[in-house]
Amino acid sequence: MTRWIILVLLAAYTFYNLGPILWLLISSFKGRADLFAMPPVWVFDINTSGYESVFGVGAAAGTASAYGVVDALINSVIVSTSGTVLAVFLGTLAGYVCSRYDFRGKGDFLFFVLSTRMLPPVAVLVFYHLMFARLGLADTRIGLVLVAIFANVGLATWIMKGFFDGVPKEVEQIAQVSGYSRMYAFIHLVLPMVRGGIAATAGFCFIFAWNEFAFASILTTTKAKTLPVKISAASGATGIEWTQIMSAGVVLIIPVLIFFYLIRKHLLMGMTFGVLGRS
Amino acid sequence: MTVTDQSQNSTPTRRSSAATGRKKSSGRLMIFGFLSPTLLILIFMVAYPIISLISYSFYNFSALNPHEGYKWVGLDNYTYLLSDKALWQRFIFTGKFVFVCVSLQMVIGIFVGYQLQKKFKGRDVIFTLLMMPMMLSPVVVGFLWRYMLNSEWGVVNYLISSLGLEKVLWLSQATPALFAAAAADTWMWTPFIILLATAAFRGIPETIYEAAEVDGASPAYKFFRLTLPMSAPVLFIALILRLIDSFKQYDLFFALTGGGPGSSTETVSFAVAKTAFNYFYTGEASALAVILLFIIIGLSMILVRHLNKMGEKY
Repeated sequence: MTRWIILVLLAAYTFYNLGPILWLLISSFKGRADLFAMPPVWVFDINTSGYESVFGVGAAAGTASAYGVVDALINSVIVSTSGTVLAVFLGTLAGYVCSRYDFRGKGDFLFFVLSTRMLPPVAVLVFYHLMFARLGLADTRIGLVLVAIFANVGLATWIMKGFFDGVPKEVEQIAQVSGYSRMYAFIHLVLPMVRGGIAATAGFCFIFAWNEFAFASILTTTKAKTLPVKISAASGATGIEWTQIMSAGVVLIIPVLIFFYLIRKHLLMGMTFGVLGRS
Repeated sequence: MTVTDQSQNSTPTRRSSAATGRKKSSGRLMIFGFLSPTLLILIFMVAYPIISLISYSFYNFSALNPHEGYKWVGLDNYTYLLSDKALWQRFIFTGKFVFVCVSLQMVIGIFVGYQLQKKFKGRDVIFTLLMMPMMLSPVVVGFLWRYMLNSEWGVVNYLISSLGLEKVLWLSQATPALFAAAAADTWMWTPFIILLATAAFRGIPETIYEAAEVDGASPAYKFFRLTLPMSAPVLFIALILRLIDSFKQYDLFFALTGGGPGSSTETVSFAVAKTAFNYFYTGEASALAVILLFIIIGLSMILVRHLNKMGEKY
């Protein structure tokens, strides 16, 4: 009996979870008329105009709206990849030092780093808005990369510290006894051991950087717009461009989905290490 | 906040016995070299903005023309904000939203996560599929739910009416809009709780369950007396992250309701953004941002302290 209740509840949750995803996928292939059909249609002519405008090909090639979306896609790729790489790089260095050394103010440093996760974006945005304009960073990719680093380096430090905690300290001790420097041990022995952790951290940072909206929406105006911002602009004066929004949503989730599936094992480990390491 | 991890307790003695003077200085160099880039970025991107924000909050000025009308007003921005009934409304709305969606996410997430720790065929694929809502951009989530919840041609109302129930005007009434936003947020973030919960549950040694089974423990006993307490620290971290994130929620409302109907679904974050970037009352927005900041930091400090106590217990 309890078994059946559990199964029904699980089925209900799966429907709630996957239904909207399925609906997003279906709607992204619908033309204008089918999108608003009531009752909703299940059989319809496949219409790829939304995807065409996202990639700027086919009928949408060269049109004003398509131009902006392709640009935004390129911006998104550049900003989130370089932001992720840099945040993971810095987080790895900081995480290693915090895992291996005791130094004054370590606890304060770790809390300060973590507090970036607690900061409401709009709070710092009031200031960034002015500072970026003054420094000439407004509406530039570099500015957004800086934001991506700051927003993710805290998480990266914490997760990486967890992974380094899992590597026995004997590794460096043996290396030092054998006459290698600490730096050599770090690069050639410890780093390869936490490859999975780096992948997991990169996965998390990429998801956040790729989907980031609040900062990008206020700090960009034309040139550096990312795809999430461009999507929100698709709800402009001419009404909401639903097909384009749905297609862009599908395009946005694909790289994350592939990434997530590849790193799923490390991801679980990263989460437990990252949080269990402290408790 | 104190840092406690198991490995540290044993290391200082071990290291100091091994360390020579030369190694110590190279260690200091490594600490400095590895930490300073992160520290520099955070000082530039976090500490400096917060200090400036606090100083802005005592002025009355607009970012549109920063050089004109830059006037010291002391605590006027704060007294104005705290006496503003509309702001209290936003705090109440934010509180309701946080309560509804975080409790739903925790209950559903723990339940599904508990079921998913059992091995079965295709678990990895199902697991990845269930994580999909979390991978979407919050803006897409907002628009997707706005599309599905449309009162005339939305699929949700179609399902409701085909069950013989009355259609709901989801986004044009205050209370349904609250639940619509909570449903969208819960949809998006329950997978995160599932992820953390599964990770925590898998970390519990199998032998503990076996011992309980020998003693004839019921499944309910095993769940409430073994699984939950043993994974409490991780679940508590999940709770903290969700509390903070939903408290500062902005993107979702931007796309889903735009703060409407009226201003009934404006969170505090939304109000900051509107004051700063629609009306350009930069001084007032800074004051509001400072209030929001202090609430969130205060809240997380209380929670983190509780977490540390929990860590000592287990």
